[in-house]
Amino acid sequence: MNDDAYEGARLDKDDVVLKTTGLEKAFGGLVATDDVSIEVDRGTITGMIGPNGAGKSTLFNLISGFYENDAGHVTVNGEEVTDLEPHERARKGLVRTFQTPRRLEGMSVREAMLVGPGPQKGESVFSLFFSGSDVTEEERANIEQTRELLERFEIGHLIDQPSTDLSGGQMKLVELARAFTTDPDILLLDEPVAGVNPTLANDIKRFIRELNEEGQTFLIIEHDMPFIMDLADPIIVLDQGKVLMEGSPDEVRSDDRVIEAYLGGAGP
Amino acid sequence: MSAVSSWVSETLVRDATERRIFAVLGLITVLLVAGVFAGVIGPRFLLFQIALVGMYALLSLGLNVQWGYAGLINFSVAAFWGIGAYCAALLTAPNSPLGLGLHPVFGFLAAIVVSALIAVLIGIPTLRLREDYLAIASLGLAEVIRAIILNERRWTAGSSGISGIPNLMSWLPLTDAATTAAIVVVLIAVVYLFLRRVHRSPWGRVLRTIRSDEDLAKALGKDTYRFKMQAFVIGSVIMAVAGAFYAHLNLYIDPSDLVPLTTFYIWIAVILGGTGSNRGAVVGAAVVIAIREGTRFLNDIGFIQTLGIDLAPLRLLFVGGLIILIMRFRQDGLLPPKDELIWPAARDGSRSGGASPSSAAPDGGTAPNGGDDR
Repeated sequence: MNDDAYEGARLDKDDVVLKTTGLEKAFGGLVATDDVSIEVDRGTITGMIGPNGAGKSTLFNLISGFYENDAGHVTVNGEEVTDLEPHERARKGLVRTFQTPRRLEGMSVREAMLVGPGPQKGESVFSLFFSGSDVTEEERANIEQTRELLERFEIGHLIDQPSTDLSGGQMKLVELARAFTTDPDILLLDEPVAGVNPTLANDIKRFIRELNEEGQTFLIIEHDMPFIMDLADPIIVLDQGKVLMEGSPDEVRSDDRVIEAYLGGAGP
Repeated sequence: MSAVSSWVSETLVRDATERRIFAVLGLITVLLVAGVFAGVIGPRFLLFQIALVGMYALLSLGLNVQWGYAGLINFSVAAFWGIGAYCAALLTAPNSPLGLGLHPVFGFLAAIVVSALIAVLIGIPTLRLREDYLAIASLGLAEVIRAIILNERRWTAGSSGISGIPNLMSWLPLTDAATTAAIVVVLIAVVYLFLRRVHRSPWGRVLRTIRSDEDLAKALGKDTYRFKMQAFVIGSVIMAVAGAFYAHLNLYIDPSDLVPLTTFYIWIAVILGGTGSNRGAVVGAAVVIAIREGTRFLNDIGFIQTLGIDLAPLRLLFVGGLIILIMRFRQDGLLPPKDELIWPAARDGSRSGGASPSSAAPDGGTAPNGGDDR
């Protein structure tokens, strides 16, 4: 595809939560992310699609700070976070999930959920000895929140289960619920329904939509086209590390360049 | 009395297998005590062994914080132990190279401060990196500390070692052996209660998350470097306290015990007992010492003497065999961790169905189905 075809993302949004400007990352000679500038509007479910190797996961890692970028900037709520560590970005309200969640060995679902809220008073050894009652109070509130959230996600019955016993789909639900307990400004979901059975995938879609209606902003990578087309608007299309275009699901579906990128067109 | 029995049934012994394990341990204890009364075992010897087991238990508790809680691979257990022992010996023994002859309290304080400092120094460059770097660096540290103690004769007396280390609390109306045994019991109790409180908490929970998936912890906003550093320092300080205690137990130290083998005995104790479990660390240490010290007497048994073989040097073989057995039949160790890491005081009333009305104190009981101590 010739370079002119890369229209880039829309950069004129009103209430931007997450913004990247000219992000670049190369692995040796391979440019995985090439001058990516995107904006995510508050209150949207923004989708991100692209063929394999388009650089979606690399972009997620750059945004969340797990990779260091070669050039460019990331801002959250207008604040520069480019030089911050992943955990510092999370505290700024930018929270991500992972494509293949690792099981937390030896932890119950309740425990796995309780890692989410933070920073907690009980995470300081000092507080454990000198302000035990504050720790108790906060922990009680967090346990209560965990129970409510799991019940809301219709997996309340799993609360006592070892988290290693969950199915892939249930684990994805727990991940989503846990990420939500951090009270993020924007949630980055990396393939939330990969390997999830259709029934559970529909549940996940419903819960994402519900949270969104309550104001939660999402940026979602997903390979499952019907899923993302139904859920997200707008959708950003990546191809070969660059932003190909951004538009509504209908615009994306009918765009020749997108079709060409996916089908590996013969070129101009 | 009922409080004691409910504590035992809820926190110490959780299921039938554990009951059997404790029954065997109890039986061995009874036999040892009976041996003392029968005159086969000298009481002084037994008390010394108790103190030794206690010291190893402290080391295992320290390593359990690092490896069991946080997944930090520390191969310098012997070094931190040695740092503690040498701090105590150098400051308190009148004929040490420093010749200060201070009160043992200063030895313990120095052990804590110096080990914490060294743990921070080794942690700064390694804890931000992948976990294997700490393993390599700590292996190096162990050898460096040993080489320094061996070669800097002017400061450490080198291979001739330091003697004349004073007894602890000799003003107590007990024999020296009984005093040291009592002191180690108190030390273990203090460390154990401290660890119990910090482990079943949001702090312990973050460490457990880091152990399984550090990236996840970071993505949830946890400063994993800070947590790992805290676990590393706490574990190292406990090891150094064990070392300082050993100096006052043995009254003589030299660098010959600072070898990697000591480190690996502790690793074996933690893995045997159940990685991540404080109860397991203590029991694992007892088992390792029982094998190590018990095999010394194998050759005295008449029947083995008639065979004409020397069994005692085979003790490592017994340890190895035991590990294989445990890994075959009880993969998570003798007493694996059982609890959810949730602040105990916050659980009461927030559990669905039949929450126990037990104490609200963090160190008190918890719901019967939720389990308690690790």
